[in-house]
Amino acid sequence: MKDQVKKWLESGTVDIFLGMKMVDGHPLPHAFTLGNISDLEELVPGTVRYPLETFAAELAAENPDARIGLAARECTQRALNVLSLWNQAPTDRIETIKLNCCPSPLKEHAACSYLDPPEAGLFKKHFGIDNAADPEAVARFEPRERFSRWMYEFQKCIKCYGCRNICPVCFCEDCSLEHKDLIGTGQLPPEAPIFHLVRAVHMAGRCIDCGLCEEACPADIPLRLLYRKVNAVVDDLFDYRAGEGEQPPPFNIIGERPSLEPKPMENGSACPQR
Amino acid sequence: MECKFVPSVCSYCGVGCGVLFKVVDGKLTGTLPLKTHPVNEGRLCVKGWNIHDFVNSYLRLKSPLIRAFGRFIKTDWEEAIKITSDRLKDIVRQHGPDSVGVLVSAKMSNEENYLAQKFARAVIGTNNVDHCARL
Amino acid sequence: MAGLAAAFGSGAMTNSIADIEKAGCIFIIGSNTTACHPLISRRIYRAKERGAKLIVADPRGIQLSRFADVSVHHRLGTDVALLNGMMHIIVKEGWHDADFISQRTEGFDELSQVLDRYPPNRASSLTGVSVGQLKEMARHYATYGPAALLYAMGITQHTTGVDNVKSCCNLAMLCGNMGVAGGGVNPLRGQNNVQGACDMGGLPNVFPGYQPVTDPEVRAKFSAAWKKELPAVPGLTITDMVPAMLEGCLKALYVIGENPKLSDPDWNHLHHALKNLDLLVVQELFLSETAQVADVVFPAASVAEKDGTFTNTERRCLRIRKAIEPVGDALADWQIISRLSSAMGYPMEYGSAEEIFEEIRQMAPKSYGGMTYERLGIDGLQWPCPSTDHSGTPILHTQTFPRGKGKFHGVDYQAPAELPDEEYPYALTTGRMFAHYHTGTMTRISEKLDNEQPTGYVSIHPEDAARLDVAAGDPVRLSSRRGEMEAPARITRSVPIGTLFLPIHFGENPTNVLTSAETFDPLAKIPEFKVAAVRVEKLPVEKEL
Repeated sequence: MKDQVKKWLESGTVDIFLGMKMVDGHPLPHAFTLGNISDLEELVPGTVRYPLETFAAELAAENPDARIGLAARECTQRALNVLSLWNQAPTDRIETIKLNCCPSPLKEHAACSYLDPPEAGLFKKHFGIDNAADPEAVARFEPRERFSRWMYEFQKCIKCYGCRNICPVCFCEDCSLEHKDLIGTGQLPPEAPIFHLVRAVHMAGRCIDCGLCEEACPADIPLRLLYRKVNAVVDDLFDYRAGEGEQPPPFNIIGERPSLEPKPMENGSACPQR
Repeated sequence: MECKFVPSVCSYCGVGCGVLFKVVDGKLTGTLPLKTHPVNEGRLCVKGWNIHDFVNSYLRLKSPLIRAFGRFIKTDWEEAIKITSDRLKDIVRQHGPDSVGVLVSAKMSNEENYLAQKFARAVIGTNNVDHCARL
Repeated sequence: MAGLAAAFGSGAMTNSIADIEKAGCIFIIGSNTTACHPLISRRIYRAKERGAKLIVADPRGIQLSRFADVSVHHRLGTDVALLNGMMHIIVKEGWHDADFISQRTEGFDELSQVLDRYPPNRASSLTGVSVGQLKEMARHYATYGPAALLYAMGITQHTTGVDNVKSCCNLAMLCGNMGVAGGGVNPLRGQNNVQGACDMGGLPNVFPGYQPVTDPEVRAKFSAAWKKELPAVPGLTITDMVPAMLEGCLKALYVIGENPKLSDPDWNHLHHALKNLDLLVVQELFLSETAQVADVVFPAASVAEKDGTFTNTERRCLRIRKAIEPVGDALADWQIISRLSSAMGYPMEYGSAEEIFEEIRQMAPKSYGGMTYERLGIDGLQWPCPSTDHSGTPILHTQTFPRGKGKFHGVDYQAPAELPDEEYPYALTTGRMFAHYHTGTMTRISEKLDNEQPTGYVSIHPEDAARLDVAAGDPVRLSSRRGEMEAPARITRSVPIGTLFLPIHFGENPTNVLTSAETFDPLAKIPEFKVAAVRVEKLPVEKEL
């Protein structure tokens, strides 16, 4: 990768390359340029993830001529696809070098913070929701129990907005989470479950399942699981999976009409099978 | 186009979370949690996420101010330091070093606290130095 | 910190933040942790989810109360009675750690004599906590060790603050929870560098490293290093400075990075004191309430604009690094102090913050001697770190206490200095809310944080609100013996009936108009912010046309 980046910078393929560099034993995001090309010695793939695609999109927006290189995991690539569909990132000016990363322990040499998720404690397993749980297993709880387990998780929220702030596909200027008519302000925990459900709804058809939100959550709320659930609904209804391919998302209201039709009804119902 | 990420520490409460300042073209454009920091392990609270807001505020003081005829006047460092040191020297001469107090801050760095108490003790000559942590 | 120093010989959080996750039981008293120390509440959640027990004692209902195995709301200012009541039960049930008490402590007899006076019935009637809850608190804390005790300003900002802290230390030693992972007495410091400011000698009686100014040997050492004869008499605390200003014997005040006009206990009192000064110099980021009345204002650089170190609540010295140039002509505080000092005829010629740190290492060798900027890196080091091959100290007092044996103090309950009466029938307490910080100078100008809570408010119980005919958002007037202020009402069951809560961050609703400068802890000089008696009146609501 170092050679490739060096070649790109020297040939002018990219003006800046966003990757990770070791600083005092910590992998930190770093912008490699021709000016600091010797820093490439310390370029590392690492298991630690920062939303480099967000930084790339911001830099591209500020500098209309700049070409930006990016060390991209599979989730980074999915996020770029989504950003591109929503006109938030000029992918023609963003070059990526793919990292071997997919969060599967089966894959050799894969590097991702998700390979080593923290183990949920016994109390959480009993009364809350295990972050590593299978969505199917959560769906099997009785509705009342499922609700009380989710409410337990939501009530831990300290309203840091970290889930939104770190999210590579959250880019709205006005965020519904800060809309005073939707959600009350000034109190901890934020109104449950509305705060988290508002965010979940906005993640439908957009979340690329990178899990950065959960990694940023001080309260270990299983956000990834929550957004997987809403994405599953979108998949069932519209046959749409965010970040895959170049199909516009179903809720793209920027155009004249919804860009995707619901998929043909099965068993006489458009609702997903329960 | 210049972009860098600078590791630092949140300046709000006493927990001391590791943050990463995002700097683009010499401007602080964002604050991120430092993922591998031993204290906060990649998490922040709402205040920490917004440190760049107060740093960039238009309300920041940008030049020394001196009160003259009841109003503040902008001035430069040379004059502000000269006026302050002259008046302090006068007060110490007339009323002794213990007529001066120094309030240091639980928000400044160790180095600055060290210098501030050194200033009180060695320069002014008083132990009248305290901070607001009682409050 | 006086209470901790009396019990152990040193005043600091005894354990580490990460260590909280190892606790078998966490006892939180006087700390609204999710709002004030959010990233410590993360450790509490994680410990709880792993199976640790959680006890929360707070006069208000706080977020963590929801997750507590035992949650109690004791009356304002009855912490000593509550802790004594717990200890009475622990000793009676034989849950105390007799080995630890005999080997590591002294003064147990003095304590047990006091504890005899706190049988469950009496403790219950003093605190308003039921006997059953008291017993559960005692059982959880004593039998699910190691137990970590966490407290914040809810313990210290009382006339009996030092007594409260001593009681916390008594409890921890009684159950042998000192010097073990997951245990300890853990004061959560409210500001980012309170620990550092104390370590660096930002106190009237000690040089850096808590070396007393009254000790001739210490003074000789600093005199030699600083090439100046140094004063031997301890100086004034901030609480003593205010009367000295009023009496005219303190003529000049140099305030660096503080806003006492909002943080000091009695606004009116301080206002007059500051006016009486010949010279007020304020060094600040913003034109704070205090800077507005200054004679000279120096613009200071922010955290992102300078190098240096902070020492956090767990004694971890951490580096801050300059990310951008200071705005306008602002300078780092150390540069301003150096310039002023040089102009006063005492040249300070430091080229960098690191040079100053090197001097600190020399002058406070026991705690900071082994630290260098290079060694601190990103992770930092926890003091004591006496030599460059020392890896820092995550847990204090594992073998002995700095004073040798830990000392139990027999501490009796004393009622707060001001209790509600007929004229001022409500008990007022103050504190922080999650989106703002201290006097609000840094948070209120943030759009995001202002959106979260744009104004001050007063929390009031629904039954009290009904009695006063106050609806949510109605303006009310609060008056105490010191002054009066107005704020919109927030109706919530998080405060008990008869109690009001005011957040401290809002200059236009200054809480310190109401609180008292006369009542403070006699030893630590910490004012009683947490209890005052007030009267509430509904104000006419202005109708929108």
